[in-house]
Amino acid sequence: MYRGREGQWAWMLHRLSGLAILAYFLIHVISISLFMFGEQAYMALHTTYELPIFSLGLIAVTAGVVYHSLNGLRIIMMDFTGMGVLYQRQMFWGVLGLTLLATAYTAFIVIGRLLGGEG
Amino acid sequence: MIRARTYTDAQQQAHSNAELNWWIFMRISGLVLVFLVLGHIYMTFIQVSEADATYIAVVNKLQQPAWKLYDWTILTLSMLHGVNGARYSIEDYVRSRPNRAWVKTIFYTVAAVIFTLGTVGLFSI
Repeated sequence: MYRGREGQWAWMLHRLSGLAILAYFLIHVISISLFMFGEQAYMALHTTYELPIFSLGLIAVTAGVVYHSLNGLRIIMMDFTGMGVLYQRQMFWGVLGLTLLATAYTAFIVIGRLLGGEG
Repeated sequence: MIRARTYTDAQQQAHSNAELNWWIFMRISGLVLVFLVLGHIYMTFIQVSEADATYIAVVNKLQQPAWKLYDWTILTLSMLHGVNGARYSIEDYVRSRPNRAWVKTIFYTVAAVIFTLGTVGLFSI
């Protein structure tokens, strides 16, 4: 199930998205922790986050997290139920479809807000 | 590193109790994090603009103990889940023993420092 075809792609995407989320998470914690050093230190960095490129970047973060979450549920189903193993291919396409849907929704809301000039 | 299809496989493949416990931990923490992290992303990025996370907004939010607990739970579970996931990757791709040892040492140290920073930050308000 982890060799070839859907299972292997699911596994590879799971690992890649996991490492990417971890990298984002570590930087996110450092950045948020800046509020310990007062408003100036915090806002100095956070005003740059208002650039549209960061909002677009967050859409990618959302896509990664949604994929990792849903595929994680798929893994749990495979590990604990026979049905999960039987339908792991179909579930992979389901995971991809739902990820695309959630990403499209996020992009719709966020890009709409950007175009509306609300940052 | 366990490559199991079922819980029974995992039990047989685990070299130690610790390894089996991490395998179980990844599944349980993952299940909890699905709700916590997706909720966090929705509340701070989709429902409102992330530009709204100003200094004052962050300080106001963290004055409430419930949010402190929510954020600290996310911080702790993601840190353990993420660092253990990265450990699987390190064990898979860093083949030589000495390299693996120092890559892990540096990585764990960095993660521990960032976890401390986050915890101190959360409870400093």
